[in-house]
Amino acid sequence: MPRLRVVSRATFMDMVASLPASKLDRLYDSHWTCQAILRSLTPLAKQYVMRMLYIDAPIPNKSLQEWVLPDATVKHKVAIDKLEQLRILVDVSERKKEVTYRLNPKLQNQLRSVLKSGGGIPRDPMPSSIVARLPTATELENYAIQQWELVILQLVNSASGEGPTAPLNKFIQHIFQKAGLLTSRENETTSRITEAGFQFLLLERSSQLWQIIREYVSAAEERGLDNGELIGFLLELGFHIVGEPYNMNTLTGMQQKAVEELAILGLARVQQGMKDRWFIPTKLAASLSTNLSESSSWQPTEGFVVVETNFRVYGYTSSKLQTETLRLFVRLEYQLPNLVVGSLTKESINSAFASGINAEQIISFLQKHAHPHVAPKVPTVPETVSDQIRLWETDRNRLQLLPAYVYEDFPSMDIFQAVVAYARDIQGLLWEDASTRRVVVRGELHEDVRSFLHRQNTASSQRK
Amino acid sequence: MDILNNIESSVGNKHLLLYIMWDLADDVSLVIVVVDVNPYFWVEKANASTGTSDIDFEQFLQHVLAFMNAILLLNHMNYLAVIATGSDSCSFLYESLAGESVSDGEGKPPSKRMNKHHTPSAKIVRGLKDFVSKELAFKTERKDNGKRYSLLSGSLSMALCYVQRILRQDPPHPHPRILCFQGSPDASQQYIAVMNAIFSAQRLMVPIDSCMVGSQHSAFLQQAAHITGGIYMKPPHPEGLFEYLMMVFATDLHSRRFLQLPRPTGVDFRASCFCHKKTIDTGFVCSVCLSIFCKHHKECSTCGASFSQNKSSFVTGQKRKLSTN
Repeated sequence: MPRLRVVSRATFMDMVASLPASKLDRLYDSHWTCQAILRSLTPLAKQYVMRMLYIDAPIPNKSLQEWVLPDATVKHKVAIDKLEQLRILVDVSERKKEVTYRLNPKLQNQLRSVLKSGGGIPRDPMPSSIVARLPTATELENYAIQQWELVILQLVNSASGEGPTAPLNKFIQHIFQKAGLLTSRENETTSRITEAGFQFLLLERSSQLWQIIREYVSAAEERGLDNGELIGFLLELGFHIVGEPYNMNTLTGMQQKAVEELAILGLARVQQGMKDRWFIPTKLAASLSTNLSESSSWQPTEGFVVVETNFRVYGYTSSKLQTETLRLFVRLEYQLPNLVVGSLTKESINSAFASGINAEQIISFLQKHAHPHVAPKVPTVPETVSDQIRLWETDRNRLQLLPAYVYEDFPSMDIFQAVVAYARDIQGLLWEDASTRRVVVRGELHEDVRSFLHRQNTASSQRK
Repeated sequence: MDILNNIESSVGNKHLLLYIMWDLADDVSLVIVVVDVNPYFWVEKANASTGTSDIDFEQFLQHVLAFMNAILLLNHMNYLAVIATGSDSCSFLYESLAGESVSDGEGKPPSKRMNKHHTPSAKIVRGLKDFVSKELAFKTERKDNGKRYSLLSGSLSMALCYVQRILRQDPPHPHPRILCFQGSPDASQQYIAVMNAIFSAQRLMVPIDSCMVGSQHSAFLQQAAHITGGIYMKPPHPEGLFEYLMMVFATDLHSRRFLQLPRPTGVDFRASCFCHKKTIDTGFVCSVCLSIFCKHHKECSTCGASFSQNKSSFVTGQKRKLSTN
């Protein structure tokens, strides 16, 4: 699962990098996107941009290489590749002989102006006199989490087979289907959760968020929205101050639509005043730009799970989503206002395996969401428990299915033994029985064995 | 590699371990900038400057402000704190954490909101104006003049206290470093205090970088960079200060392991004596507490050990050399 998480985060920038050059260049028209993209780079790449910021002349690649220590050439290459992909560095070599680079002039100008002016915020918040009543920071955070959980709960509900409690939002359903988390069959009225969907439920919230946003952006293309502009806006959103109201009229039509849809995900809250409408970015929106870089250590997750050596699981939560997520692999026994108690049983774990979750995902979920009281312990999940979960998994995998061929009716023992020896040599022997003269060989090696048998036959007939 | 070797040899393996740990971490930094705003130095510099290759205070400030913006630009989580060093006092001009949790718990909402709209540069300049007027008032009160030195020890201590405060908050922590812009000459009276600050920085594993804007080198800051594994540089062309800042001092601790950076050309290891605060080449060292004196004393003023030597052996020991490395 850790691998999955990194991939899902990295690929947003990959998606940005895969935009056509013209769209990418248009992204650099706004200094907010320039800043966001700069911050998403690796430390070394950032340093290169900073160093080249006030150099107008093209720089030969050779000089760039002189900046790094001899041991770090690999890092250097990675950084340069990334910069080129994002068109931050533009290849301006005239002859084929020497590669020379210069900074994308648009980005260069935007960043220079940031250095002069010192950033600031994208748009001014509305004065408090116009805005009726703003939610407090905790209210807003609760709102964001609530919205987000509602979205994910829709996924869970389709897992449990019950009809969705709230009418499933078409827009979200579409995104889930696009991401392959829900099945999308035309004839079925209710779509079912897929294996990927189950695995998705066990991911961290930030990875979930990114996966959804990524699908959202790629879905935008189909709906006729410019995904370049959308990415620009998403990157810009992270620079707004959390909890401040911003007038909707300052946004373009497309951005307004995007804000309304993002509000469903809990990234912003839209409020209607007497005259104006405004949106308030939430913590989720701010975390969007923070998580662009791959520094995962900056993502504290609030833990709530305690696992005991007797396979008891205590979840200190009142959230429906977290309860439902636990229910995926825990047999819940009773529920108190702020606590759910259950135990890990063979049946509960097996049902999780059946829906496509593996042992490592369960264990890492329990580790990542460990309650702060047990989080410092090593290991967070008792070894007896984690080992048992793994054992249960290997239990399921006791049978291995392989395509194979059976050979029988060998004319003589010699040929039988020659075939067995040959099959063993090419590592295709699965089973042999000398008394009945039968051999089983891996299916993909059938041709080899057949030609070997032919050779044997011709050899023996010649001898006769 | 040079820096790594440097650090490894000077402060042992503990640092190395930390640097290796950083490989997993990131470039989030806390930069504490200590700016020498001693008016005596800047006025003298303005009077003395003849060529075009020198910069005055205004230009200097512009370069430094742009550099600070660059630090804040590099990472969303980067923290910046600015400390001004005067001749008699020092104070915080700006901290990018302010307005959040650290300094004001219950600021009035409207003023706090207005405050957010000012750019860091505006806040720093305003803080600087306050600081200068305060220091001026202080000076007329005290009426002692002719002091050309800056209170470097005070600023370094403040910077280290600030680092402590950040490190005591809940993890994760940024990687702290201190950057000194120093122009005034070393004040040998502050020798002990500065060295103590340097050693605490070493303990906290905070590198002290120095950028000299004056005409002479600073032995204090050379030693600071040497001991803490920081970078010491005196730009040969001060008018291009900003470019030096971006190329050298903007480098975060993570990237320093991969980039070529200026190497130390030589460190002035001279110490000041504890009795008259003079910088000395040769002196007497107390065999008990290692205090340094320029003259022979009957008794150590720091630890009270008595040097009951007879005259003849004292004469032979007189020219004992202090560690000059």
